[in-house]
Amino acid sequence: MTQAIEPTPNLLTQRGLFSLPLARSFVTVIASTVVLIIACLIFAPSSVSLGALSGSLPFASVIAIVGLGQLLVVQQGGFDLSLAGAVSLAVVVSTHLPSGDNAMLLPAVLMALGFAILAGLANGVLVSFFKLNAIIATIGVNALLYGGVFAVSGGVPRTTTTLLADIAGGETFGIPNSVYFALAALLIVSFMLKKTVVGRRFEAVGANPLAARAAGLRVQHHQLMAYVLAQILYCVAGILIAGITREPTAFQGDSLLLPSVAVVVLGGTSLLGGRGFPVSTVIAAFFLNQLSQFALAVGVPYSAQTIIQALALGFGIGVYSVRWTVNLTTQTKKI
Amino acid sequence: MEHTHNKLKLALAAATAMIGLACSTQAQAETPSWCGPNKATIALLDGYGGNSWRQVTTASGKQTAELCPSITGYEYADGQGDTQKSISDIKGMAAKGVDALVVFGDAGPAMLPAITSVFKAGKVIVPYRVNVGGEEGKNYTKFIGSSFKDDGVSWGNWIKSILPKGGNMLFLSGPAGNSQGIDELAGLKSVLGPEYKFLNAEPFDVTNWDPALTQKVLTAEIAKNDKIDVIISDFGPSLVGALPLFQKSGRSIPALATSDGNSLGCFWTDNHEANPDFKLFTVATGNDNVRLAVQWAVAAATGGKMPEEQIFKAPVFEDSVSGKVQCRADLPGSIYLSSELSAEDQAKAVTK
Repeated sequence: MTQAIEPTPNLLTQRGLFSLPLARSFVTVIASTVVLIIACLIFAPSSVSLGALSGSLPFASVIAIVGLGQLLVVQQGGFDLSLAGAVSLAVVVSTHLPSGDNAMLLPAVLMALGFAILAGLANGVLVSFFKLNAIIATIGVNALLYGGVFAVSGGVPRTTTTLLADIAGGETFGIPNSVYFALAALLIVSFMLKKTVVGRRFEAVGANPLAARAAGLRVQHHQLMAYVLAQILYCVAGILIAGITREPTAFQGDSLLLPSVAVVVLGGTSLLGGRGFPVSTVIAAFFLNQLSQFALAVGVPYSAQTIIQALALGFGIGVYSVRWTVNLTTQTKKI
Repeated sequence: MEHTHNKLKLALAAATAMIGLACSTQAQAETPSWCGPNKATIALLDGYGGNSWRQVTTASGKQTAELCPSITGYEYADGQGDTQKSISDIKGMAAKGVDALVVFGDAGPAMLPAITSVFKAGKVIVPYRVNVGGEEGKNYTKFIGSSFKDDGVSWGNWIKSILPKGGNMLFLSGPAGNSQGIDELAGLKSVLGPEYKFLNAEPFDVTNWDPALTQKVLTAEIAKNDKIDVIISDFGPSLVGALPLFQKSGRSIPALATSDGNSLGCFWTDNHEANPDFKLFTVATGNDNVRLAVQWAVAAATGGKMPEEQIFKAPVFEDSVSGKVQCRADLPGSIYLSSELSAEDQAKAVTK
C-alpha cells in the first residue's frame, strides 16, 4: 500500500491527499466486511441466511444510528458518554408513558425527542461554551439522564405498545423497518455533512477549530449542534430498540456505548476530530453486528466470542494507526 | 321492665366477651411460630434492585416481616449493581442499629467479608438465593438457598413426558458461568439421557438475562438449527421478544420449559393456537424465596421458633399440557402470578 504513494508524493495535489484516506477507509471497511461474509459462508452459512439476517439487521441498524450520532460528536473532537443514558431514557419514555396504549405513543415519542434536545443542549453548552472536557461533561449528563430513567420507570421494564412493535419491529418488502430508519438517518447525515454549506463548515470546524474561528466561523454553535443532533439520533435508536425488543430493560443503552465508538473508529474517522465518514460508519455497524452473529453461529464458547470481537476491533484500529504514521511521514518529508 | 333491661345488659356483656375472645384467638393464630416476643428491626439489602422481579420480592419480604408484631421497623437498601455500595449498605445498616439483615448478595463471595464482620458484631444476618461462600454459624446466621437443581429436574421430567423418544434442546441462562444455570443443567442431566441433545454451547447460551441479547442469540440458533424441539430458559419473560422469530422463519414456536411471568403466560394465550408445537411449562420464578429468609432472620432476632424448611423449593406453576396457563391481561406484563403476593399488590409494587 505504501508503494503506491512513495513514487509520486510531489504529484499529489491537496485534493488528492484528502480523497485518498476516504478511499482507504471505505475500501478497508468494505474489504473487511467482504472477508467476513466469505468467512460466514464457509464456516457458518446459517449466519448469513435470510432468517438470521432479518433477525440481526434490526440490531445492526440500531448500532448504525447511534454510531452516526457518535460520529458527529467525534468529528468535533469530542466524545459522548451520555449515549447510554440517552438511549435508555428514550426506551423507558416510549414504553412507560403509553403503557400499552397506542394513542399515547405519539406524545411519548415527542416527549422523548424533547428530552433528547434538552440533554443535547446541556452537553453542548457545557462543552462548547464552558469549555468543559467532553468526557467529564457527558458523564455528568449521563448521570442526569439515568436519574430521568429511574424517575420514569423505577428501573422496571414495561411491554411495548403493539403499534411501536409493528413500526420498529415489522418488515416492509421483506426488509426490517429499522433498516429503512438507519438508511434514512445515513442519507440525512451524509447529505447534511457533504452537500450543504452548514455541513462543510461543520467539518472544517472539527478539523481545526482555531483556523475555523480565524476564518470567521461560529465554532461554538457548530460544536453545540453536534451534541444536539447526536442526542436526536440516540433517541431514534432508543425508540427503535423499544419496538424491536418487546420488553426492553431500563438499561438498554449500556451495551451500545462501546459499539458506537467502535464503528466510528472502524469507519475511519479520527478520534481527534475532522472529516467524518458516515457511509463507512454504517457499513462498520453491519460488520460489527455480523461479527457477533458469526461468533454465535459458529457456536464457540462465550469467552471466545468476546475475544474474536476484541481481536477484530484491535485489527481495525491497528490498520488505521498504521495509515496515520504513513501519512505523517509523507507530510514531514514534504515539509 | 327493669328485669328485661338487666337481661339485655347481660346479653350484651356476654356478646362483647364472646367477640373479644374470638378476636384474641384470631390474633394468636395470626402470629406465626417464627415470630418471637423480643422486639427487633429488620433490613432487606438488595445487590441490584432495578427490575420488577426484585420489586415484587422486596414487597413480599416486607409483607412477611409485617406478619410479626415484634418487628418494629423494616428498612430497604438497593446496591444498584455496585459491589462497593452493597458492602457499605450492609455496614451502614448494622451501624444504624438494625438487628436483623436479609441480604441478596449479587456479588457472591465478594460480599462475604462484610457479611462476616456484621455477624461477628452480634447481628443476625441471613444471605439468600445467591451463594456467598462461608459457613453457617461462622460467617452468617443461616444461608437460605434455592434449589435450582430441582428446577432442572422438574423441566427434565416434563420434557421426557412430551418427547419420550428424545429430541433437540436449547438451554439459555444468564451471565457466563452463573451458578444458577450450572445447577439447573445438573438437574436436567440427572433426568435426561443422551437421546436428548443440547444444541447450545456448553454449559448454556449466555444471555445475561437481557431481552436484546436473548433475541440475538436465538436468531443465530434458529438459523443454525432446523429442528429445535424444546427451549429451556431460567428467565421466561425475556424470551417473549424473541419467540416471534420462529413465525418469521415460517416455523412453529417449540415447547418451552422455563420460569413464569405474566407477559409469558399472556403471550402463550395469544399465540398457542397458531403454533401447534408451542407447549408451555413453568416453575415458580421464586419471589417467595425471600419469605423463608425473612422468617429465619425474624426467628433468630426475636427468639421465635426456627422454620423447618432450610432451602426454598420452587413449585411447578403452569403446564399447558396437563393443566392451564395463567394470564392477567389487565395487569402489567412484568408481574409474577406464581408469587404469594397478590397480583394487585404486585401491580402496585411495579408501577409505583
